[in-house]
Amino acid sequence: MERSEDQRNGAPDADETRAVAGRRRVLQLGAIGAATIVSVRPALAQTAVSVMTCEIPVPDPARASQYIAPDGTLVAPGTPGAVPGSATPFAGEDVRRALTQGGSLPGTSADQNEAYLNYIRRLQAGTGGFTCFASIQMPR
Amino acid sequence: MRHGTALRIGPASFRIASDWRAPIALLDRLYADYPRPEAGFADFTVRLEAKRPWRRWLRPSIHLGGDYMLPDALPLSLAHGLLAAEMGMNLQMALGWRRQLLLHASAVEKDGRALVMTGESGSGKSTLAAMLGERGWRLLGDEFTLLDLDRPGVRGFPRMVSLKNEAIAAMAGEVAGERFGPLLRDTPKGAIRHLVPRRDAIARMDEGALPAVLLYPRFGHAAAVRPLQKSENFMRLTQASTNYVALGERGYAALTRFVDTVPAFGVDYASGAEGLATVERLWAEHGR
Amino acid sequence: MTPPTDRPSDTPVSYRAAAPGATIVTPLDSLYALYDRRSGLTQLVAQPVPAILSALAEGVATPGELQARLERDFAVEGEAGALAARLDELVALGLIERL
Repeated sequence: MERSEDQRNGAPDADETRAVAGRRRVLQLGAIGAATIVSVRPALAQTAVSVMTCEIPVPDPARASQYIAPDGTLVAPGTPGAVPGSATPFAGEDVRRALTQGGSLPGTSADQNEAYLNYIRRLQAGTGGFTCFASIQMPR
Repeated sequence: MRHGTALRIGPASFRIASDWRAPIALLDRLYADYPRPEAGFADFTVRLEAKRPWRRWLRPSIHLGGDYMLPDALPLSLAHGLLAAEMGMNLQMALGWRRQLLLHASAVEKDGRALVMTGESGSGKSTLAAMLGERGWRLLGDEFTLLDLDRPGVRGFPRMVSLKNEAIAAMAGEVAGERFGPLLRDTPKGAIRHLVPRRDAIARMDEGALPAVLLYPRFGHAAAVRPLQKSENFMRLTQASTNYVALGERGYAALTRFVDTVPAFGVDYASGAEGLATVERLWAEHGR
Repeated sequence: MTPPTDRPSDTPVSYRAAAPGATIVTPLDSLYALYDRRSGLTQLVAQPVPAILSALAEGVATPGELQARLERDFAVEGEAGALAARLDELVALGLIERL
């Protein structure tokens, strides 16, 4: 295993090195449930570019004719309790505000807002608007 | 497309093509002092497009295109054409640049050394950079800081500074009107106004600097300074870079070198004046 | 991940580190950055990971042999079964192989 800069095996630091002369460094193997490794994940481009704006269509254009139930699932048009989709997509910023501050999406009634937000929460990779939704969720 | 222009900023050059003349005319005015790419070659193309030919005039709406693009991009109104062009250039860099490691950070230079400030929108990194740029520092960049891969160094990439909301008024008092782009209201991020860097920053764009101090500013909090541990700094910077993973081992070497040699501090501040004073103090202690 | 080998069931399991030079380990503070050249992935790791990787770099080892190498160099502490848990983590990330 290549060592960069440091010569010794697993360089000790203040946490590990006992100051008392003659005692060896402690190696703590840890606990069974603990994780000692965190993987670096790629950053999403939207979060690293401050003035990127994106939109989320509700629903995905491929399913534009379907209605949205209060729990966000797509149902046949006319299903009782369901609302038609939004004619225009929502800006990522508006969705983020509604999700984090509890406000409503612009131009929606309470029923529409609940259905649309639940639809958005259920977005999967491959559906229109998913990348936008993922970038809203990334902790900044 | 019938209108276009080309410009170079530091190591990167762009061609911007547009179905409308107005955004191009604005770019030509604001970037007038910038060099043009050599022999018509550009690293990236950005396109401001009408979705249908008649949408050039009827409810004009700009669809952003380019060599690199993200899905779900929001179309913009013609009034926000300058914003579209700037976003387009940001996206080309974020998705396509490989010659330096990109950090989502602003940077300013003094005496050959760079102060780098990283954070998300609202942190104040752009406003601080703009203010420092008017107080004896040279602007190296606003949206992106370019770290050399094979040796320590920051490149110049002085695009226009993107000022938002309250920062616009703060800078308007300090800077002559012709250095500003139009006031863009009602963008998804609120009001935005672009500020052209000082002549000196543009003329010296090919002069880099050695990174000396890294700050994580947070505007709107009670004054506090906190040194960051190298491991925390490293993790946060991997998330502040769009090309760290794509750069592989060279990205790893550049970032570990940066984190190992450049001290980092979180800086909370409640006012511009407080932020500036803290920055100057930290620079005096660690930057020289 | 290594596919199961045709090992008789009473042979103890053993572990092998990646080839020399396949991983770069950079001490930061109490944590270390680690770059795996084969996958291009970066990890942030704590002890005992670098110590285990170094000890395995000496050659293939069973858990008992590995424990002995670590005890040669350190005063080893930890819950029973902790070493096995650490080895599982390293195998799952492709940093070492289980034979």
